Amino acid sequence: MADKEKILSKEEELAKASRMNKIRTYLPVVGLVAIFALFNFLTDGGMSSQRNLTLLLNQIYVGMIAATGVFFIMTMGGLDFSQGSILGIASIAVCILSQYGIGIAIAGGVVAGAVIGAINGYFYVNRKIASFIVTICTMFLFRGFIKYMASDSPIRASMDVYNFDHIEIKLPLMLLIIAISFVAFRYTKFGTYLKAIGAGEKGAMFAGIRTDRMKFLIYTLAGAMTGLAAFINIAKNGSATANVGNQLETQILIALVLGGMPISGGAKVRFSNIIVGTLLYYVLYSGLTMMGLTTQTMQLIQGVIFLIFVAVFADRQSLKVIK
Amino acid sequence: MSEIRLQVQNLCKSFGITKAVQNVSFNINKGEVHALIGENGSGKSTLTNMLTGIYTIGSGKFILDGKEVHPKNQVEANLEGISIIVQELGTLSGLTVAENIFLGHEDQFVKHGIKNREAINRKANELLQQYGFKHIKAEHQIDEYNFEDRKLVEIVKATYFHPKIVVIDETTTALSQEGREELYKHMDRIRKEGNTVIFISHDLPEILDKSDTITIMRDGVYIDTVKSADVTEDDLKRLMVGREVTGDYYRPDYGEKVSDEVVLSVRNVSVPNVLEDVSFDLHKGEILGFGGLSESGMHEIGKAIFGASYDRTGTVTLADGTEINDIPTAIKHSIAYTSKDRDNESIIMNQSIGDNITLPSLDDLAGKCKLLSDKKLSDFANKFAAQMSVKMQNIDQFVSDLSGGNKQKVVLARWIGKDSDILVLDSPTRGIDIKVKQDIYQLMDTMRKHNKSIIMISEELMELIGMCDRIIIMKDGKLNGELPRSRDLDENLLISKMV
Repeated sequence: MADKEKILSKEEELAKASRMNKIRTYLPVVGLVAIFALFNFLTDGGMSSQRNLTLLLNQIYVGMIAATGVFFIMTMGGLDFSQGSILGIASIAVCILSQYGIGIAIAGGVVAGAVIGAINGYFYVNRKIASFIVTICTMFLFRGFIKYMASDSPIRASMDVYNFDHIEIKLPLMLLIIAISFVAFRYTKFGTYLKAIGAGEKGAMFAGIRTDRMKFLIYTLAGAMTGLAAFINIAKNGSATANVGNQLETQILIALVLGGMPISGGAKVRFSNIIVGTLLYYVLYSGLTMMGLTTQTMQLIQGVIFLIFVAVFADRQSLKVIK
Repeated sequence: MSEIRLQVQNLCKSFGITKAVQNVSFNINKGEVHALIGENGSGKSTLTNMLTGIYTIGSGKFILDGKEVHPKNQVEANLEGISIIVQELGTLSGLTVAENIFLGHEDQFVKHGIKNREAINRKANELLQQYGFKHIKAEHQIDEYNFEDRKLVEIVKATYFHPKIVVIDETTTALSQEGREELYKHMDRIRKEGNTVIFISHDLPEILDKSDTITIMRDGVYIDTVKSADVTEDDLKRLMVGREVTGDYYRPDYGEKVSDEVVLSVRNVSVPNVLEDVSFDLHKGEILGFGGLSESGMHEIGKAIFGASYDRTGTVTLADGTEINDIPTAIKHSIAYTSKDRDNESIIMNQSIGDNITLPSLDDLAGKCKLLSDKKLSDFANKFAAQMSVKMQNIDQFVSDLSGGNKQKVVLARWIGKDSDILVLDSPTRGIDIKVKQDIYQLMDTMRKHNKSIIMISEELMELIGMCDRIIIMKDGKLNGELPRSRDLDENLLISKMV
C-alpha cells in the first residue's frame, strides 16, 4: 500500500515537472502570437502590413544569425557580452575591404569576428576567467576601437554592397545558416556535447568530451557568425558609424530568454528558443516603436519584461553552473 | 531499562507529493549509540535532517528530554543540544579552523560589537589539544587541511559543547580506516558521558559492532527497533530489503588461474605530491584491487590510467602499444572509469538518463554524415538501462532524480553500452545499499568471466578481499605490498600494510 502510494506520488510529481516544461516550451510561442495580435489590433493592422513586415524582417537577419552563435555559447553555460562590439569591428572590416571586392569583404568580416571570438575563448579557457568578465572587457575594448575608427565620420562601404541588399539573398542566407545550425545541434553529437558541458562540465570531460577545445571553438564560431551578420548589416546600411552594433549583446540575451532559454544553459535548451525568441523580441520592439514610444520608455519596458522572463524561466537547480 | 532521551512521535514529511517519512514513531535512549539503517531513500536522512533543523518538520513531534523541540536551523538545533556530522564536507572554505568550529556561536567572543579573534583561537586550540588533534592549528585556514583533517575539525565542532544528541550521517564511508577509528573513539566517549549518538551507515558489520540499538526504516516507514546483540547481519538485510537476500554476496570461486596476458601496463607513473613511481600490470580477465587510506594516492591511480591526471609523468600503455595520455584516447581504446566523486565526475546530474548513457558512444551510434537518429539513441539507452535494471520512469528523466545506487547503475550502463574492455571502478559501491551492491558484484563477476579486466579501487576492505584476484596496497603514494586472492586474507592483514 505504502509502496503504491509512493510510486503514484512520484508519478504525479513528474507530471508536474513535465507540465512546467510544457509551459516553458509553449509560453513563448503563445506570447509571440498574442503580442503580434495585440500590436496588430493597437495599430489598426499596421503591424501586419507588407511594409512593416519587410522592415521587421530586415531587422531580424542580423539578430537571428548572431543569436544562433550566442545560443551555442549559452547552451554551454557561458555568456557573451561582446557581440555588439564584434558586429561593430566586423562591420568596419567589411566596409574597408569592400573596396577590394565583395568576397574579400565577406571573408574579412568573418575573420574579424572569429579573431575577437578567439580572443574571448583564449582568456576564458586558457586564462580561466569567467566568460562574462572576459566578454565585458572585450566589449569595452573593441567599442573603444570602433569609436576611434568611426568617430569623425562613418566608414563608407563600396556601393557594390547594395547589390546584396535584397530579400532574395538575405532570407535564404539566414535560413541556410539556421538550417545547418539546427541539424548540427539537434542531430549530431555537437548539440549533445554542448548541452552536456552546460549541464556539468566535469562530467562531460570524464565522458570523453574535449571541453576546453570545444569552448574555445564555440566562442570563435559565434564570433565568425556575427562577423557574417556584419556583412548583411553593411549591405543594408552602407556604412559603419561609431554606434554600429551598439547593445546587440543585450538584445540577443533578451531575445533568447524571451524564447524560453534557461540562462544557465544545459539539457533544457531547445533550438526553437532562438527562433521564437528573436521573432518575439523584434515584434515587441517594432510594436513599441509603432506605438510611438520613446527610446527611453522602450528600454524601461524591455528591462521589466526581461526581468519577468528570467524570474519565470531561471532553472534554479542548475543556476550555479553559470560560468 | 535506560532513560528515554528522544521520543519521535508520528513524524511525517513530504516533498511535493512524495512522502519521504510517514508516521514514524520510536524512542531513543540516553547513553546509547542508536543506529538508523535502511536502503537509499528509506527516509533516515530526512528524519535526522528534521531533527537538526536542516529541513522543517512536516508534522509530528520530536520530544527531547520531555520537551518538544522544533529547531529552525542548525544553530538553533545546537542550542537545544543537537548536532550533526554530515557525509560530505561540512566545513566552510575560506574560514579558519577556529571560525569553523564556532560558526554560529561567535557571540560568546564578541564584546562591544568586536569579535575577539585571539580568544576564539585560544579556545579552539584548547579544544583541539583536548581531542588529541595536535597537528591542526586553530588560526590556519581550513583549506590547508585535507578531507580527513577537516572531518576531525567537524567532530570537534559537533561535540565540543557536549550535546545531548550527535547525529553522524554516513560519515564513515568518506573516511579512511584511521579517521574511522578516531570517530569511533569519540562516539564511545559521547555514550559514556550519558549522551546519545544517532549513527547512520550502510556498513552493516560496522553497525553491529559499534551500536547498541538499531532502528530499521524502509520506504519512509518505521519497521522495527532491535538490540544489536540479538541480531545478525542477515536479519538486518532481511528487515531492510523486506525479503530474503539470497545467493552469494561476493564471488564464490577461489584458486582460479588468471591469464598471463597483460592488457594494460603502468610504468613509473608519478603525480606530484600524490603518486610516486607506480608500476604494475593488469591481466586479461583479472580483477585487480587497490586498497589504502583515503590519501594514499589510490584514487589518483584510477585517474592516471584514464588520462585524467594533471601533471602525470610515466607511461600507461595498452597491449597494442597505445599510450593513454588523455580521456578521449582512453575511452576510444575501451577504457571505462567510474569516479569516487560520482555526482560530479561520473555522470552529468542535470541531464537525462538517456543522454548520460549514450554520451561516450555517440561516435559509434552516428550514421551517414555523422547524423544521429533519435530512435537509435533511445533504443540504445533503453537497452542498457534495462540490462542494468535502472529504476526509472523513462530515459528522459534527469539523473538528479535518482538515488545513489541508481545513478551508479546509469554510469555502469554507459560503459557496458560502450563495451569497454578495461574498467577502472573507483569506489563503485560507495553509499549504495545492499541490493544494488550485490548487483554490482555479480556484474563484475560476469564481466571477469567474459575476459574484461577490472581495476577496483575501494576503501571497503571486505569487498576487496571478496572480489579481487590480487590486491595492491598503497601507502603514501607508493605501492606497499601485493596480496593474491585467498580465503585466508583478513582485514587486519590489509590494515597492517596500509598504516
